[in-house]
Formats: sequence, C-alpha cells, structure tokens
Amino acid sequence: MRTVATPPKWAEALLRLFLRSDVFASVSGDLLEQYRDSIHPARGQRRADRWYVTQVLGFVWRAERLWAALFAGAFLARSVLDQLAPTTDFLLRSRVSTAVSAGILMAAGFRAAWRSASFAAGAAAGIATTAIAAVLSIGGNAVLLAIWHDPRTMAGIALSGGLVEAFTLPIFLILAGAAIGGAAGVVGAIVKRLVPARWVER
Amino acid sequence: MADVLGTFEQAVLLAILRLADKAYGRAIVEEIETRLEREVAAGAVHATLERLEAKGLVTSRLGSGTPIRAGRPRRYYRLEPSGVSALNDARAAVDHLWRGLRWPLKGHA
Repeated sequence: MRTVATPPKWAEALLRLFLRSDVFASVSGDLLEQYRDSIHPARGQRRADRWYVTQVLGFVWRAERLWAALFAGAFLARSVLDQLAPTTDFLLRSRVSTAVSAGILMAAGFRAAWRSASFAAGAAAGIATTAIAAVLSIGGNAVLLAIWHDPRTMAGIALSGGLVEAFTLPIFLILAGAAIGGAAGVVGAIVKRLVPARWVER
Repeated sequence: MADVLGTFEQAVLLAILRLADKAYGRAIVEEIETRLEREVAAGAVHATLERLEAKGLVTSRLGSGTPIRAGRPRRYYRLEPSGVSALNDARAAVDHLWRGLRWPLKGHA
C-alpha cells in the first residue's frame, strides 16, 4: 500500500547540499518514490526514516571520502613524523600541516558549493570531511600506537602534545572544518553564480 | 577493448538493458537488488550511472514527475552502442578466462 509519508526534512536538505543542483530533483524523487512506495509500507515510519537517512549518508560519504582520506592522511603523516623524528621546534611543522589541512578543507568546501550552488554546502562538506577524517585519524593513530609504543616513541608523542591530543584533536577539527569549509563554500557559491552557465558543462 | 567494466558497472548496464524504456534511477536500483539478491545503496548506483554517462556508455533524459515523487522528474537512462560493445567485451573476457574449465569447480580445500 502506497503512503504519502514524508522522510525527515533535514535529511532531504542534507542531500541537496551534496548533489549537483541539476540532479537533485531526479535523485531525491527516486528516493521519495521508493520510500513511499515500498520502504514505508513494509517497515513503518521509524525504520523507513532510518533507511532514508542511511541512503543520504551514503551520498555524503561518496561525495567527501576522498577529501576525508587526504585530510586524515595529512594528520597521520604529521603524527608519524612527530613520533619518528621528534623535535622541540614545532613551528615549521605546524605551519606546513595547518596549511595543508586548511587547503584540503577549502578545496572540499569550494567543490561542494560549486556542485550544489548552495552557500551552506561548504560548511556541510567541511563538517562531513573532518568527521569522516576523525574516524580514520583516530583509528590510524590507534594502529600506529599498537605498532610503535617503545619509550623513545612515547617520549616523542609526549613532546608533540601527548596521547590525549592525538585522539581528541581530530574531533575538535570538525569545528575548523565547518568554519574553513563554510568560508570556501561562500566563495564557491558566489563564483558559481558569477560564471556564465555556458562556461560550465555541468 | 577500450575499458574494462567493473562488476557493478556491468550490473547497472545490464539493468538498463533489461528495463529498456523504463530504466530510471529507482527501477535500476530494484532491478540490481533483485539480480544480486542484496540491498544496494542508491548512492552507489547514482555514482556508477554518472561515471558510465561520463564515459559515453549511457545517455540520460528527464521524464515527467508523478504525485508519489512530489512531482520530481525521473531521469531515464539508455544504453549507447559503446555501452553494448563494452558489455560484449566484458562477457567475452570472462568467457575467455573460463574456457576449458568445468563449472561449478570442484574444491580442493
């Protein structure tokens, strides 16, 4: 039996931020049709909503996983460098890793806003990128710690901020992701509006 | 053979072939789920369709909306001759790999 049930509005709004503006209508229509036609009648409201949110998160994951992998890679590379080649002068390393990380977030935010033509897409992409990267970074740090935990390495970790920083910083970076991705997203959305449509294939 | 198709790309192209003029997003997802006997993510199918379209193996056009879709249009996909050719190449490659072997294989483990 078909229903006219409606999936969570916030999830649909999130989907809009991670899709090209010209494909949002057809893709969201497909999801809505499946939700109303088969998922909701078979599973009920709560499980159908969960299905819808999972589908949307799949789109988010596919849109941001490369940026997240780059971001986590940069974070883990810095961790490995600090552990294997300890130093007391972190200024240069901090500048380089901050610039690389900010660059990745700016690129992700700009790309998302360009894709969806939405001002909010950059912040959403920054949050998604850093959230996925946080999981990868924390997992990666745990693996590194399992491999290298000799006294010299532990001293290197302590010098560079300690274990607490290694495992909590990726979570705090989500705020930076929102801010930097958001700023780049505003630029991306403005540029998208200024560039004539005929210059953009899609 | 210009490009080797992945298994999921073949599943999407074959779904479009089977559905003919009814090949739009949701129908393709459900056709693949039926054939593979598992749930597939709409995002995975959408990403594959975009990749196949970029390769020129399929083309798409927008159709009309329906009330259950809140009036949002369906995007219908069609296999191009290069898509048919890619599927033929993929099948020929698998057949070539299996030539001389009896299926199902008897295990030695």
